[in-house]
Amino acid sequence: MTLKPPASRGFWAEAWRRYRKRKLALVALGYVALMGLVALFSPAIAGTKPIVCKYKGSLYFPALGYFNPRWENPIFRTDRFRGVYPANLKQKDPESWAIFPLLYQDPYRRVREGEWPNQPENPTRDEGQPSRANLFGTNRAGVDVFAQMVHGTRTALLVGFVSMGIAAVIGIIVGACAGYFGGWVDMLLSRVIEVVMCIPALVLILALIAILERPTIWHMMAVLGATSWTGIARLTRGEFIRLRNADFVTAARAIGVGRAGVMFRHIFRNALAPVLVPITFGIAAAILTESALSFLGFGAPPPNPSWGALLNDGRTNQQMWWLIVFPGVAIFLTVLAYNLIGEGLQEATDPRLKQSS
Amino acid sequence: MTSLRFVFLPLCGLALLGCGAPTAPPQEKPAAKEAPQADARGSNEEPAAASEPKSAEPFVLGDLAPKFDPPTLAELEAKVKWVDSPVVDTLALLRKQKEKEPAKVSVEEALKLENDSPEANEKILSALSVLAPEDGQGVNYDATISRALSMDIGKTNPLRSSSISEAEILGLTSFGVFSFDWEMNPLASSDSVVSWQTSEDHMYDKVVLRDDLTWSDGKPITAHDVEFSYRVIMSSKVPIEAMRTGTDELLAVKAYDDHTLVYFHKNPFATNVWNLNFAVIPKHKYEQTIAADPTLVESEEHAALELKPVTGGAYEIARWRRGQEIVLTRRESAYMHNGKQVRDKPYFKEIRFRILEDESTSLLALKSGQIEESVLGAEQWQTQTTGTDFYNQNTKIMGPEWTYFHIGWNMDPKACPFFTDKRVRQALAYAMNYDEMVNDLCFGLFPQSQGIWHPDSWMFPKNPAPMFTYDLDKAEDLLDEAGWVDSDGDGVRDKEINGEVVPFEFTIIVGNKPDRVAICNLFRESLESIGINCQISPMEAAVLMQRMFNKEFQANMAGWGTGTDPDLSKNVYRTGESRNYGSYSNPEVDRLYAEGQKEFDRAKRAEIYGQIHNLIYEDQPSLYLYNRSSFYGFNKKLRGYRLSPRGPFHFGPGFSAIWAPVQ
Repeated sequence: MTLKPPASRGFWAEAWRRYRKRKLALVALGYVALMGLVALFSPAIAGTKPIVCKYKGSLYFPALGYFNPRWENPIFRTDRFRGVYPANLKQKDPESWAIFPLLYQDPYRRVREGEWPNQPENPTRDEGQPSRANLFGTNRAGVDVFAQMVHGTRTALLVGFVSMGIAAVIGIIVGACAGYFGGWVDMLLSRVIEVVMCIPALVLILALIAILERPTIWHMMAVLGATSWTGIARLTRGEFIRLRNADFVTAARAIGVGRAGVMFRHIFRNALAPVLVPITFGIAAAILTESALSFLGFGAPPPNPSWGALLNDGRTNQQMWWLIVFPGVAIFLTVLAYNLIGEGLQEATDPRLKQSS
Repeated sequence: MTSLRFVFLPLCGLALLGCGAPTAPPQEKPAAKEAPQADARGSNEEPAAASEPKSAEPFVLGDLAPKFDPPTLAELEAKVKWVDSPVVDTLALLRKQKEKEPAKVSVEEALKLENDSPEANEKILSALSVLAPEDGQGVNYDATISRALSMDIGKTNPLRSSSISEAEILGLTSFGVFSFDWEMNPLASSDSVVSWQTSEDHMYDKVVLRDDLTWSDGKPITAHDVEFSYRVIMSSKVPIEAMRTGTDELLAVKAYDDHTLVYFHKNPFATNVWNLNFAVIPKHKYEQTIAADPTLVESEEHAALELKPVTGGAYEIARWRRGQEIVLTRRESAYMHNGKQVRDKPYFKEIRFRILEDESTSLLALKSGQIEESVLGAEQWQTQTTGTDFYNQNTKIMGPEWTYFHIGWNMDPKACPFFTDKRVRQALAYAMNYDEMVNDLCFGLFPQSQGIWHPDSWMFPKNPAPMFTYDLDKAEDLLDEAGWVDSDGDGVRDKEINGEVVPFEFTIIVGNKPDRVAICNLFRESLESIGINCQISPMEAAVLMQRMFNKEFQANMAGWGTGTDPDLSKNVYRTGESRNYGSYSNPEVDRLYAEGQKEFDRAKRAEIYGQIHNLIYEDQPSLYLYNRSSFYGFNKKLRGYRLSPRGPFHFGPGFSAIWAPVQ
């Protein structure tokens, strides 16, 4: 009878096992997942455009217009709907039906009297305290804060993921080359990293905004990505230096695996865990930067909803606390969640902590 | 005894209140533009000034002045019949006016009132506009007043002034001959002038200066300083293009002796009087050095003068800490001459300007007593100045102001194809939700603008065109009629222009202020619902100004303050003028401006300018949004302020009527 040794868990399974033990990190992960869902389904949560409707014999999905205005079917424009669906649908085609979002509120405009049965018009000026119709209140122009926050989630998550995606690609490639090749390549790339570290991203973004004809959120993400990859590159470089002479790498080389194969198939997989940590922290930092820029009025151009822009709205009048508290809490929680995840990852993937857990 | 009040140097000009802070380089001359809201107090550098070419040609003083050989004084006296023009002590004038306006309540009662209704506002204004007694009894001459500037000054040479902040400071420190009262009637200040006569044919103005005027370095101020300043302004090497507008309408300025000055005009126009007014610099300080440094601020000597300027006004600059504060002190030689008091003593010993760029910061400073007057925003007026934290130390006043905000269209077909058609511009005017703008975004405090003149002004037409209202059906019909239809079915209107399908998509540039962005956003919402894509691009004041000046925009949201004479607005609406950023052109309007300039009778002028008003409103070169009002908070220790269509300070007597009683 042979005794089969229990299969040892893989590295990621082990890491996940240890990550699960950290309650806070787990909650944070759940929170980020929830935010992702909110971002993805934002037009179905709060909006004034039907998710799906049947009008004059065809099916339409006008709510997609929240993702890209061009996806909103032009027929509603030509039929002079003027953005108000409920009454116009019934009036122009009595046969029509529509499924509306959970909450009839728009992130771009004020909901006015009589648009939606039993819902009063949104209050304006400083009178928009949170109420049943406006969960988080309204801003001065009468635009619902909750709807703006739901749609602003898209901006926040997008900024984090896209800018860090760019940073990760640049950082990993630069770091991998520097660490793997060593010598003058390392020397050169390390100096490049040091130079880039000196560039203040915020100032660069402000300069860019002044120059560009139409600055968008994508420009900001590109600049953030192009300036925040240095930490990732340094860590990758360190990991590559550590691993390039490991036995499994020598073995791989011995059987004739190419350079790229060695670097990205063999070394990178083993170096990934520590690199994930600065990426997670970077996402948190990018979200903070976007909010800070929007707060200063240099963020995504209006009317794009963004948490920081809401804070900016509330800046001049502290009596409208709901413009500060809700977005402030959202920013705080999201940044906290990413930091907790990063910390959790760090500890779950650090082999030195293995014994203790 | 007359009183020395500061005279606004160049006083005419419209203010561009565009962007947050800026007022534009004044159109006729700098300085005059006044813009009361916090935003309008700042300024920015004049874009044009920097672009003066530096060539190797030698400096020639007055090379731009027309070639003209003035006759001798005797020849002139022989052929000209003089008529007296007003030489006025504006404080005395205001004192007379105040006799006709009895206070509705006592000062003590007024200070207890909360300004929550038009009646309360009237009571407060009537009581607190009380002037100091003529003999100065009860005036605290040792008082210091702390004020706010929304932006630091860049230069102290009055000829190089280009911003509202500089105008504010120079108004207090500079010597001037002419001024105007709160109804914007032109006058010569009796502080500076013995007599002012205009020839019957309106071709000459003769001024006799007083002989007890001194610069802050003790040298006398003479007619030669005025002539010299004119020649400096008219020198091509001196980079002050905007300052030349108006002054270049003069044929010559001639000093016949130390006190007698004659201004020669090119044409007998009603607007000649506004050309007389330009900043004066001390000849003895600049005569020798100007050839080496025509910028007036760069060379070593000039830089020293920038820091410690030789001034001719009631106050002089004592300290200037860049970005923080500017302190002015009362100048004894301004009201004393040879040991005798010859003019009223200015009421404050010291004026402290703190540079506070943010509106909320200045409100906090006002509430805590760190500054003693401040403009208030509409929202601040309505929501943040109603509690005891404000009324403990302050009170507030409001009044109409002849300032309008608009969205200007770029009508140059080469730059932007959308707005060349009048029907399109009218359609856009129908697409603005005026009610919501006025009642919700402007807190019900600003009325919808009826066009380029304020309804209270004398030139406003008796039969104004009906105002545009919010009517999207009309807007869509007009756009269809103009050929902007959605031909490719993408939800956005388009039109074939030169074989190319152009979608109706444009960008509005606007100052980075939440209230203005909100108004643009309201407009955008309506436009989007009728198939026009509109982007909003908020930007810094300086960038906005530059873009407008270079005509690099499709639409801009900004404001114009009032000039002293309706003729000044021709700079904005006449074909090819320097402030005509949108390239508007209507031959009939051009003709009427020319006619209005020649007319001397005010009633007839009012009719002409009324016609201009209606023509422009019909053409809609801009979408007229709202008229701003003045809102000011004043510390309870201050008295003597009143509001003009240009706010509480920028007229005669303006600031010099404000005083603090002995506690």
